[in-house]
Amino acid sequence: MKRRLEITAEPIDEAVLLRERSISRSMGAVVYFLGVVRGTEAGTNISALDYEAFQRMAEHQISLLFDELEKRWPLESVRLVHRVGVVKVSEPSLWVEVAAPHRGEAFAACQWLIDQLKQVAPIWKKPVAGDSPLATGL
Amino acid sequence: MRVTVGFYSWFKDLTGCGRLTETLPAGSTVDELLQRLIVRFPELSAAQRSTLIAVGVDYQDRRCVLKEGDEVSLFPPVQGG
Repeated sequence: MKRRLEITAEPIDEAVLLRERSISRSMGAVVYFLGVVRGTEAGTNISALDYEAFQRMAEHQISLLFDELEKRWPLESVRLVHRVGVVKVSEPSLWVEVAAPHRGEAFAACQWLIDQLKQVAPIWKKPVAGDSPLATGL
Repeated sequence: MRVTVGFYSWFKDLTGCGRLTETLPAGSTVDELLQRLIVRFPELSAAQRSTLIAVGVDYQDRRCVLKEGDEVSLFPPVQGG
């Protein structure tokens, strides 16, 4: 299974990620997920989320998830990009893609990976209020 | 033995630091380290039950026996994705 993992402070460029997609003739399904920052957090309006990661551990833990993915489903590839730092509302913070022979396994694998990521990856988010200096700098 | 301790997310605010070095008796466990840290930073006590602990880049439970040079990380429940 081909793997690509990035934890980056750079904006997630969906167009580039889509252009870089490479799948073989035997793949019939590509499922991808884009997580974006919602405008509210715990009922309060926000302008952004400030993501922090324990990067080395997050990379290791996500690699372990990739190992488990490979055991569970016949995927050809997985790509995951998680942004860190300040991410504005409606901007992407997470991009996940899997390629599989059939849609059932592609949907299941993608959902599983995201659910597990949320439980194990040492990444945290702090809401940025609209009047915060972090927000005005955006 | 000496271990380094790293704090992440709002635990950095609770302790006022991101990283420190702690000297412990050889054979100390993660829990013994945690109890020492709570004496030093009483604010950690309220978060004790939900505190996640890693040694190196792997999660460990509080019975884990530490060794010289271990990097221990303490943080609140994760929120990635």
